[in-house]
Amino acid sequence: MSLLKHGRLVGEDAFQPVADDAALPASGAVLVTYARWQVEREQLTGRNAPLGILLPNNLDVLDFGAEAERFDLIVLQFPKFSDGRAYSQARLLRERFGYRGELRATGHVLQDQLWHMQRSGFDAFEIPRADAVEAFAKASRTFSHVYQPTGDGRVSVLKQRLAAHNNKNGRSQEAAE
Amino acid sequence: MYQYDEIDQTMVEERVAQFRDQVARRLTGEISEDEFKPLRLQNGLYLQLHAYMLRIAIPYGTLSSRQLRGLAQIGCTYDRGWGHFTTRQNLQYNWIKLEDAPAALADLAKVQMHAIQTSGNCIRNTTTDQFAGAAHDEIEDPRVWCEIIRQWSTFHPEFSFLPRKFKIAVTGSPNDRAAVRVHDIGLRMHKNDAGEIGFEVIVGGGLGRTPFIGKTIRDFLPKQDLLSYLEAILRVYNQFGRRDNLFKARIKILVHEIGIETMREKVEAEFAASKHGALKLPQEAIDQIAVQFAPPAFETLSGISAEYANAFRTDFEFGLWARRNTFKHKQPGYSIVTISLKKEGAPPGDASAEQMNAVADIADRYSFGEIRVTHEQNLVLPHVKHSDLPAVFKALKAWDLATPNVGLASDIIACPGLDYCALANARSIPIAQQIALRFKNWERAHDIGELKIKISGCINACGHHHVGHIGILGVDKAGEEFYQITLGGSADDQAALGDLIGPSLNTHDAVDAIDTLVETYLRLRKSSDERFLDTYRRIGIAPFKEAVYVSA
Amino acid sequence: MAKAPKLNSQPQIVTANDLRSGDTVYLTVTGGWTRRIAEAAVVANVEAGAALLAEAEAQAKQNIVVAPYLIPVDASVTPPKPIQYREVLRAEGPSTETRPAA
Ligand code: HEM
Ligand code: SF4
Repeated sequence: MSLLKHGRLVGEDAFQPVADDAALPASGAVLVTYARWQVEREQLTGRNAPLGILLPNNLDVLDFGAEAERFDLIVLQFPKFSDGRAYSQARLLRERFGYRGELRATGHVLQDQLWHMQRSGFDAFEIPRADAVEAFAKASRTFSHVYQPTGDGRVSVLKQRLAAHNNKNGRSQEAAE
Repeated sequence: MYQYDEIDQTMVEERVAQFRDQVARRLTGEISEDEFKPLRLQNGLYLQLHAYMLRIAIPYGTLSSRQLRGLAQIGCTYDRGWGHFTTRQNLQYNWIKLEDAPAALADLAKVQMHAIQTSGNCIRNTTTDQFAGAAHDEIEDPRVWCEIIRQWSTFHPEFSFLPRKFKIAVTGSPNDRAAVRVHDIGLRMHKNDAGEIGFEVIVGGGLGRTPFIGKTIRDFLPKQDLLSYLEAILRVYNQFGRRDNLFKARIKILVHEIGIETMREKVEAEFAASKHGALKLPQEAIDQIAVQFAPPAFETLSGISAEYANAFRTDFEFGLWARRNTFKHKQPGYSIVTISLKKEGAPPGDASAEQMNAVADIADRYSFGEIRVTHEQNLVLPHVKHSDLPAVFKALKAWDLATPNVGLASDIIACPGLDYCALANARSIPIAQQIALRFKNWERAHDIGELKIKISGCINACGHHHVGHIGILGVDKAGEEFYQITLGGSADDQAALGDLIGPSLNTHDAVDAIDTLVETYLRLRKSSDERFLDTYRRIGIAPFKEAVYVSA
Repeated sequence: MAKAPKLNSQPQIVTANDLRSGDTVYLTVTGGWTRRIAEAAVVANVEAGAALLAEAEAQAKQNIVVAPYLIPVDASVTPPKPIQYREVLRAEGPSTETRPAA
């Protein structure tokens, strides 16, 4: 298992996962489940350390999004690569609720889905293979253009064409989306 | 017609490179069949009974002559010299090798085509009216919107692993020729009271094992909001569509289970939050696409062409064909020609590479180089001058492409069925061939008039049997092929699902039963103007049932 | 879709599709694959059927074939004829195919 952040290998995960029935460690960054968060909000926010949360992939993010900014890490799950719910969760967290912390994909995270995950706002990946860095680098080069505007900062084809068109017509260039 | 710019071309070529790499990783064993299957499916490659099958997208059914020649060449190089046009405005090759698939896709990219999203649980090729841009009854050319949807849906990061496949259809005419009410999303262009053109949005239609007619989720959607609204629907579906049961995973089941009101609330809430976002379409962006669908340089014609009138009078066969296989064009002096791929006794929808090349030549000469593919598995020359019709007829006839049967009993839709398809219960093509031969006599066929027979080899309903005036569904009965017959289905603006007439029949009896049903109609119709479907709607199922089961 | 039959003591053979070409293939007595059903290894008891299938599945893991399964055949004729109609079509090719392979 390799943990990648922004394409680079993270040696040691700063966040310690804590099982629902285990005691919270006195200090240090922890990763807790959504269920635990619901019952132990106060203890968890009272700890003076970075906090991560693991969201179930059937959670309606609209019910959670307002709290997103309290976290330093949000982990979304792909129980199977073909279960694509977390793509919507990721985009909502980033684009609707403005979450800026680490957004991590876990579960069945395969090379051929990494492109979509990056585009949806994930910046960290638990990849079950040794050559994850190479796989990630390759996946990041899949396409030179994007047709859809998402929150990943890439300029959509439509905007590119409009800008080219407007330049030609001497109008001011539109800001990137 | 839409031409790829450098960006579109790069995207398609990069996709080919990506797939080439995926195939290589599969062949060396780096990825397993389980991991590879969805990847090959997203590139249109199925493993069927005898070989791999490659499904090519023909976006909104529009082809240039150059593209059609490209399809012919691929058919010769990688298949056995044939292609099969399908009800989804796609083309399928039935004999492709996995090793060759990347090369076939690279050749396809040379003519600005691809197999992207022709399978898998993603947004599929958007379909539309085959007469788009030519039909006299059109409000606006729907292909502009299909192209906008094509680009937005291509490699959509959020919607590539939906609960199930997702099909969108658009019609720009009040006479729906795109079956928009039986798609996951149907878009119907219309004018509101203020005279603006927008979309009625229909959601949750579909055929398959649980057929539903779609429900209107919004009466009028302004054009610039189209993509935001589509994204809102897809986002609700991606999160809440069922993933526990493959057979309940389509959006139609979600809409049915939560109800259209709840669905509307969720979608409208999502839309309200995103409608002023990056997906809102500026008019310039719409215009940039729309100019590419500008009409060709029609001549200004008036009066009736002498060649046409003369041929109509003197050449009986021509007259028969012209009456049956042409449709009114919006430009005076022009017609839309449907090329029947349904010669009685031939597999419906098949075309040889030679035929494709011939059609490409005819299109260059007489139809501005444009061809369309219909969801009824025929081809179309969209812009033919009346005075050229006799020559077009002659040229088509030389290639066995002038069967005058469009919309008639022998113009049958049939899925590949058990001859090719790994999911089938029974064969579709041979029974279609046998039925068509029963209606070879043109006098009888024309006397019967419009009759849509649609055949599927299993409950997945790829042959649209639910919406056939006569629908035929193949079932497996103790290891033997049997067929269920339904009556009264329709895919037009008054969409309806057919009613089952009774127990299934074996092949021989099923073919006879079709004859009996037609004879019953001829006996009971009010006049020769009353179509089979109208007679059925008027008198109901009982007389038909009795004719098939009692007198048999 | 036709279900794979349960293991039993009917005469049976193993079929699959070749990974590279997609062709219908059958497992032979020497553990190779053939496109001709006449050359398929026929077994007629539960253990032998299971062994044959295990051999085929091992080869699927080695990426030679895809999705192998057992099918019952009538072994009293030559070549053996599949019992299920679907398998007859796989063995003989489409019934509508009037065009020869290139
Ligand atoms: C030959 C391989 C094919 C396979 C394996 C296949 C598979 C399927 C499956 C599983 C469904 C049911 C989906 C559901 O209910 O969720 C389906 C539906 C459908 N397919 Fe196919 N199909 C094949 C060929 C075709 C062809 C050749 C056409 C066009 C002629 C086609 C057009 C459709 C249509 C129109 C539907 C029903 C509409 C809907 O999606 O609800 N399919 N197909
Ligand atoms: S209806 Fe069934 S048999 Fe026909 S193509 Fe679809 S899945 Fe195959």
